Amino acid sequence: MPAKVKENIFSTIIIEMRNDLELDAIIEDYLLGKLNPHETEAFEQLRRNDPAVDHKVVSHKFFLESMEMFASQSRLKEQLNHIHAEIDVESLAADLRPHPSRVIQLWRKHKSAIAVAASFLVLSFVSVYSIQHNSKQEERYRNMSRELSRVKNSTNNLIRTIKSNASSDTPSKSTNPGNFGGTGFAISTNGYILTNLHVINGADSLYVQNNKGESFKVKSIYTDSQNDIAILKISDKNFSHLSSIPYTIKRSTSSIGETVYTLGYPKDDAVLGEGYVSSKNGFIGDTTQYQVSIPVNPGNSGGPLLDDNGNLVGIISGKPDQTEGAAFAIKSKYILEAMRAIPQDSLGANKLSASKKSLLSGLKRTKQIEKIQDYVFMIKVYNN
Amino acid sequence: MNNSLKSSVPTDREVILGVLNNSADTLNKLYKAYYAMVLQFILNNNGDEDDAKDVYQEAIIILYNKIREGNFELSSKLKTYIYSVCRRIWLKKLSQNSKKAGSITDYEDVLIVEEDVEEHEEKDLQFVKMQSALDHLGEPCKTIIQDFYIHNLSMQDICEKFGYTNTDNAKTQKYKCLQRLKKIFFQP
Repeated sequence: MPAKVKENIFSTIIIEMRNDLELDAIIEDYLLGKLNPHETEAFEQLRRNDPAVDHKVVSHKFFLESMEMFASQSRLKEQLNHIHAEIDVESLAADLRPHPSRVIQLWRKHKSAIAVAASFLVLSFVSVYSIQHNSKQEERYRNMSRELSRVKNSTNNLIRTIKSNASSDTPSKSTNPGNFGGTGFAISTNGYILTNLHVINGADSLYVQNNKGESFKVKSIYTDSQNDIAILKISDKNFSHLSSIPYTIKRSTSSIGETVYTLGYPKDDAVLGEGYVSSKNGFIGDTTQYQVSIPVNPGNSGGPLLDDNGNLVGIISGKPDQTEGAAFAIKSKYILEAMRAIPQDSLGANKLSASKKSLLSGLKRTKQIEKIQDYVFMIKVYNN
Repeated sequence: MNNSLKSSVPTDREVILGVLNNSADTLNKLYKAYYAMVLQFILNNNGDEDDAKDVYQEAIIILYNKIREGNFELSSKLKTYIYSVCRRIWLKKLSQNSKKAGSITDYEDVLIVEEDVEEHEEKDLQFVKMQSALDHLGEPCKTIIQDFYIHNLSMQDICEKFGYTNTDNAKTQKYKCLQRLKKIFFQP
């Protein structure tokens, strides 16, 4: 716009005062510094004299600033949109969106937590394994059946065989003292005796001997290899029925610390062993057994484990070969299981039971031993 | 795709200098560097691709303006800053739409950026106001104003583009449009 024209407009404005459109143009030129010094001065004069014009200038200034900000923001947005168009959003989104599979979603969400948990698991597995490995090396189970100087016996046998060969016309009755020994106890008055299977395993013939030294021939009626239980039956004419069984079976499991005792035949006379239940589980956590703290020796296997009131808690069955003074006992409920496995009427009316009251309850230990010793037998095993 | 994006991640210093120097290349690199991170965040927190675009662009604009104003202090990684801003904006949007915000799944550390976001929101009100004023203006006024003020076309260009017989006519037209726009803009 030529200066001449502009000046004309000025005069027009000043004269007519309100040609809004033209005024706007001049205000904008003024704000953008496009007016020459002369025009600027004239306009500022106008501004001072007319508050309405001044107000227009101020508001237009604000408007232009807003517009400028809007313009720069719009340009930036356009730029960003342009950049955005270059990105392959589809494939990226397919990669990153929550996976339909919950497992992968969980994995993504809890990556670090899972990693920590996994390493913890691995660590604990390693330590548990090493502990078990160690204890495997240490502990070995030793059955408590008595091996009677086998080598010596076999030598004796050999000698006897030679002898009998030498005097073949005088057949001598075998007086074999037995190769193995263990303990057993009566579960009925008519001659059923319970012991450990490992005591009688591989036996050619079986005898039991009571505390008076009388021997009776027995035969195996039932064996349970899983629980290491065997039931024998006295098949000897000379055997007279026992009076009623003094002890009863304890149904519930025993608590740690409960006083228990056992009577057994680690030697030719009955030996009392006393102690307490030291663990609810047996060898390497075997839940079918207790660990008891009773000194036991070869020959104690199959002996009854009784509590103070004469309740049958279990059967002594073995001991860990590294731990001194500890033994394992099969829990009493497996005695009941074994008894149920044989024909019920064969045991007779006076069998061992869980419901009767123990005759030993309230007696002193010495009296209790007196009562039960007739019911505990030495098992003699012959296998030539 | 992912790899090519990651390989061109600019250093934080590069970004700041680039923005101050108005470098389009830097803006391009910046935008592509952290888009995937924000897309993942939004997609996994009840949003879609469009939400991610809006939120991310807003965050980039906040960062851009902050750098341009010269008061951006690099106290943390740019990545963390952008993530935090996006997170803040998205949480607000979720609560505005009364969508379930529930437990937000996070992928990065979070800074406190409430001030920056609120400051931006105030400015954004002006932006929205101008935008809606322009939308109400109608054609050809809207385009004339946009061409002149945003795309910086000269009156000569505008005159030719819209087929006015001379620039004075175009100018008159522009001022007519401007007057109407101001009227709309200043409406309470």
